Amino acid sequence: MMSDTIGEARIKVPDRIRRGDLITVNSIVSHPMDTGFFRDADGDPIPAYFIKQVVVTYGGKEVARFDWTSGISRDPVVSFTLRAEKEGPLTMVWTDNKGATFKQSVNISFAAA
Amino acid sequence: MVLRALIAAPQNGLTCPVLHPSFPQDMDSDAVPRRSFLCTCAVAAVGMIVSSSVVNRLLAATPGPEDPDVPNEEVARILQRISNGRPIRRGHVSLDMPVVAEDGRVVPVMIETDLPQTAERYVKAVHLIVDHNPDPHLAAFHLTPTIGAASITTRIKMKRTTWVRAIMETSTGEMWADYSRVRVTLNGCG
Repeated sequence: MMSDTIGEARIKVPDRIRRGDLITVNSIVSHPMDTGFFRDADGDPIPAYFIKQVVVTYGGKEVARFDWTSGISRDPVVSFTLRAEKEGPLTMVWTDNKGATFKQSVNISFAAA
Repeated sequence: MVLRALIAAPQNGLTCPVLHPSFPQDMDSDAVPRRSFLCTCAVAAVGMIVSSSVVNRLLAATPGPEDPDVPNEEVARILQRISNGRPIRRGHVSLDMPVVAEDGRVVPVMIETDLPQTAERYVKAVHLIVDHNPDPHLAAFHLTPTIGAASITTRIKMKRTTWVRAIMETSTGEMWADYSRVRVTLNGCG
């Protein structure tokens, strides 16, 4: 668990990328992802609190958008692929149902031949 | 093949006909008369022999267990909304999930496909539906050609034992799916 700080996020891409590679992007963001169906120790309902959207941009262009519900597990992980066709930042922005946004970027750069 | 049809039949919830659940709706034209399946098991067995070539063809076209029934109105609405009436066929999609999930709070999901992800033709959306969750349409992943391959891995919550559906929509309007039945030991939804 990495739930100390809500919104703390990491993106992992391969160390060595060549132009045209199909790379795997692994990501995690710290978030409780409360469904609204559970109660706390005092019996009070815990309100729904979850990431509802993730936008992925690459070199400033949107390449993917995920619509989520509280059915995604706590501290959401998602892995997907990317065609490394250019050098530039890969950015993910997570937005929760209270309107908070959390952003993380990695730079896609090509290894020297 | 015949044995698989027999095993698959009870979970479809039909009482008498052994083979009936295996038949797609468009098979009326070339199948044995429907009446054959509506009487005794003995007659159904005869019908099975007569129609074994049909069964074999069907199983070859859709490997794996039978497609899950639509369990309720809400799932029916979701399927209608994402397909807009287009047929959702099993194939090209691989939904990899555990057969038994001991902790429903964290259930791994891996969705893959052999469909192309090019500028001309690509998977534009991947829908994940968990039939008996409080919010069955759990996630939608909207993709572009730059993603290179429609391959998604994540972790989800599951309330109880149910079918899970991974449905892909292509840029050319096709709908492809795969299904997994996951047994859940610990409710992960509250």
